Amino acid sequence: MSEQKISEASGPVAAAPAHRDPLALVVRFQSLIGLVVVAIGGIIFSPRRHGHILFLDPDNIANIVRAVSETGIIAIGMTFVIITAGIDLSVGAVLGLSSVVTASMMISGGFGLIPTILAVLVMGIVFGAIQGTISTRFRLEPFIVTLAGLQAARGLALVVSGNQYINISYGDGPGLAPPVFAILGERLFNNTVPVATIVFIVFAAIATIVLNTTRFGRYVFAVGGNERAARISGVPVSMVKISVYAITGFAAALAGIVHAGQFNFGSANDGMGYELTAIAAVVIGGTSLFGGAGSMVGTVAGTIMLGALANILQLNNITPAMQLLATAAIIVLAAVLQSLVRRREGLGR
Amino acid sequence: MKTTRQGSRRALHVALLAGSCLCMAGAAQAAEPLVKACAKDGQFIIGFSQANNAEPYRQHVNDELTAAAKEVPGFTLQIADGAGNVNTQTSQVDNFITQKVDLLLISPFEAAPLTPAVKRAMDAGIPVIELDRKTVGDPGKDYTAFIGGDNYKIALEAGKYTAKTLLPEGGEAAVLEGLPSSTPAVERLNGFKDGVKENAKIQVVAEQAADWVPDKAQTAFSAMLQAHPDIKVLYASNDMMAAGALLAAKGAGKQVKIIGTDGLPGPAGGIEAVAKGDWAATFTYPTGAKEAIEMSKKILLDCATSVDTTVTVDTTAITPENAKQLAGK
Repeated sequence: MSEQKISEASGPVAAAPAHRDPLALVVRFQSLIGLVVVAIGGIIFSPRRHGHILFLDPDNIANIVRAVSETGIIAIGMTFVIITAGIDLSVGAVLGLSSVVTASMMISGGFGLIPTILAVLVMGIVFGAIQGTISTRFRLEPFIVTLAGLQAARGLALVVSGNQYINISYGDGPGLAPPVFAILGERLFNNTVPVATIVFIVFAAIATIVLNTTRFGRYVFAVGGNERAARISGVPVSMVKISVYAITGFAAALAGIVHAGQFNFGSANDGMGYELTAIAAVVIGGTSLFGGAGSMVGTVAGTIMLGALANILQLNNITPAMQLLATAAIIVLAAVLQSLVRRREGLGR
Repeated sequence: MKTTRQGSRRALHVALLAGSCLCMAGAAQAAEPLVKACAKDGQFIIGFSQANNAEPYRQHVNDELTAAAKEVPGFTLQIADGAGNVNTQTSQVDNFITQKVDLLLISPFEAAPLTPAVKRAMDAGIPVIELDRKTVGDPGKDYTAFIGGDNYKIALEAGKYTAKTLLPEGGEAAVLEGLPSSTPAVERLNGFKDGVKENAKIQVVAEQAADWVPDKAQTAFSAMLQAHPDIKVLYASNDMMAAGALLAAKGAGKQVKIIGTDGLPGPAGGIEAVAKGDWAATFTYPTGAKEAIEMSKKILLDCATSVDTTVTVDTTAITPENAKQLAGK
């Protein structure tokens, strides 16, 4: 197996080539390794019924991947932003806002499915682009801008919903959503694969291609690696930055639509804390908060790993407290590994 | 195809059929037990899917359920914390289905989102008792039974108590709402406002959301008292917010009659606060824990062929007259 190939295949990396440093290889695949470890642990510690391993039950696997779909979609968008050394705290709130707008457009607005979905996705893109623009135009920390965006999105969601939750009922006629929308809560292929997961995986595949094979993807890495150098070599830095926030906005809106369809419900309070789960998945996936390095496959693996961990702990009836502590340990471990690699490569910090 | 009916409103009217109505579950079956594997001395796992352990009231429900389940030999209770997140809670219900628990207890964080998960449990042959909050559909058909209080009615009682006893001469009242757009917050707000309508001389001059937490309640009520110094009664949608409001009233040097909701026991609970004379009243929100374990026993141990599909546990008004005696319990 040629290590050189691996580093080429998984997109540009900011620092020295990985093939000199086995530790860097571990970091590159830390979340995949973690996922394998959790899966093996899951199999070992899984409760059994009639010799049947519950953890590997197809229904259980479907449950794991369904549960992480929404945070997964958000984490995909977040990966772009974090590679540019930015952060987006507004995504959970935008998910809530999108679920409310989706529900109210179809239920009280009488809009059809396609116009509703398009409008919500455009809203997400615009919301993100506005944040990106403010942040680049006024040289403000994205942390601050998106913190304000979080508040704004929650406020807007309450305004749109009139402080009420909106149930989505299905059928034909005014005040009802087209029954096809409920498919987001179902499973395809002989009741095995959750539709929400299909949306997540398709989005992840597109994002991986964009990040690893397009000029835009290279720009994203360049901006995060060294903004000044990127600017000098002709990368449209502002445009790239605005675009990545538009992408996270889009991702959050998509997750909000999936949420509304899965749960037949729009609520201004939904998606609270999702931004932090998504950031955790991205960091565990080996993307550096300092920017310039990261991987989409890592993010997907990190997302599924957190879901599998929560699942195996619950199957064994272990308290949520342990789950939080285990997640904390994994985040710290991931961050420490990265920092070790950076230090070896002489990047300091 | 799933069709969810419009909201919990209508479900609520069904629930308002006072007390516990005795409806036969489903069509006349040939007296099949609800759970085929039921047995007098069997071992059973009951999964409880709790909406959010972070709320003190829900912790109190967990404690009562745990205590009641301990009394029954052969019952093992597993509690999963949905952490106030419909997605997490859905996946936990699915986990219980994977584990093939013998009975599912659930307090859904919200109605519509948890409806499909409950349907999956029922389809898997697991009886579902809903505690405190309902999913969409009809008890006896879409889920086995509902046990709980009625948010709207409890708040309505508090409103009527204000109209008749606390402010018979009329005056200004205010409301602290829970988390806006959450079901119990909406129902309690509407209930109280409908209750005080009995006395035309009472105006509700301010409503603010404080998300169920005391610190936000203190801030919000301080501002209310600044804007409306003549507020005589404050209805807090839960005990935690009433505690925060008391601090605000003390800080402003005002005598305000505070009403809580939940009536939690213990030294920091609402019953104690009324007994001490800090609040005017609190209205209990019964947990239904004892009733739920009773019903589980009927289903799993006694091989019941049917159970009461709706058990509404009534609220108790905790007032200065009975608080001391109840606090001593």
